[in-house]
Amino acid sequence: MPNKRLNLRDIVVISFISAVLGVLYLLWVLLGQMVTGIFGPVGGGLMAGFWILAPVVCAYIVQKPGAAMLAELIAAGTEVMAGSVSAGAVLVLGFTQGLAAEIIFALFFYRVFRLPVLMLAGMAGTFAAFLTQYVLYGFSQYAGSVVVFMLITMLISGALLAGWAGKSFTDALVKTGVLDRFALGRQYRLEQQRDTV
Amino acid sequence: MLEELQTRNAFLQHVHPTLKLLSLFTVFFCMIFVYDIWRPLAVLLLTVAVVAFLGKVPLKLLLGLLLPFALFGFSFVWLQVVFPEERGSTVLFYVFHMPVALENIQTGVSLGLRAMVYASWSLLFVLTTSPVSLVMSLIQKWHMPPSIGYGMMAAYRFLPQLREELAVIRRARQIRGMGKKPKVREWKEMAVPLMAGAVRKAERTALAMESKGFDGSRQRTRYVQMNYKKMDVWFTAGFILFITVIFLLPMS
Repeated sequence: MPNKRLNLRDIVVISFISAVLGVLYLLWVLLGQMVTGIFGPVGGGLMAGFWILAPVVCAYIVQKPGAAMLAELIAAGTEVMAGSVSAGAVLVLGFTQGLAAEIIFALFFYRVFRLPVLMLAGMAGTFAAFLTQYVLYGFSQYAGSVVVFMLITMLISGALLAGWAGKSFTDALVKTGVLDRFALGRQYRLEQQRDTV
Repeated sequence: MLEELQTRNAFLQHVHPTLKLLSLFTVFFCMIFVYDIWRPLAVLLLTVAVVAFLGKVPLKLLLGLLLPFALFGFSFVWLQVVFPEERGSTVLFYVFHMPVALENIQTGVSLGLRAMVYASWSLLFVLTTSPVSLVMSLIQKWHMPPSIGYGMMAAYRFLPQLREELAVIRRARQIRGMGKKPKVREWKEMAVPLMAGAVRKAERTALAMESKGFDGSRQRTRYVQMNYKKMDVWFTAGFILFITVIFLLPMS
């Protein structure tokens, strides 16, 4: 049974990955704001999954408790340090999104990191984002149908942009060998050895 | 330019980052219950004035940064007019047989202004707080584990290198005859080497930290001490007055 606590190397690697993603989050915000400004929050909902990439990618790599939460908080923190113009919303969202993804991984006792679980974590993340924005931006003032439609687009986005794209990206990253000292990399090497024998 | 603003010798820049963070969350929380136009407008104008005068941030820059949020805020207005929870009774005019009610415009403008208030307070925080002082105060006052704090700062310092790494990857692609610009479909070919580089750098950083005796414990001497000062009392007093006048008094 490997040590399940985050060590310094885990934390620093999560920091670097999340910081890079945090910069991409920031660029995505500009894109998202343009889409939201033109198509309204419903169109913006389709963009939402991208902001759940850090917890999905980091939890999938490290496979330890706390990785998802830490990743999203650091990504949000990086956005703030880099000068996000929506620092407050970013920090609140970082907390709720990370927490939601973390809960999904905890429900599977940090043992199952297959595609359905990662997609579920992505959807939980966008669901948390939806709830947070519902409260922050007063969605209760809009027609129920619009709000439900927005939620559906966000859930789809969470499953695809965070869950599916996140896994596909990380699987490509494992092949480079840089993750060999993490849970995911070890599993990948073991599978390869089994295939060659 | 951001760094120059964050370290300017002005009042807001000297206020303790944790207090600014706390005030930011308080404003967010208080705004949730506001659906009129005047209070968000007052808060927005006041915040812009405070950042401009007490933070010595050029007004032009401030308004320029808020401009995209006006567009974002406007989306709340039209959404409220077209898809309201409850259509108002004071119909002003018709657009393609759709009644436009005064009440819905009011709610929409209020929600739009709320988004701009969030943005202005975020700017108050971001434009006057340097990353180092933020992380240092979180470690010293809010019990952030030092390994996370220093890890974050190391990652933040790495970010400027990203652009360079991206250029290297692009040139490597070019030299192999894979074309000048990668297509959107080929995003992985850029993203994977970029992230692999970041992971390698992170592992080396972690090793360097450990080999220099960093064990993540709190018992260490610090060059930067983030203590509360007299300014912080003034800031807190002013903030409590502001919250009371704008949010608490109208309720009673």
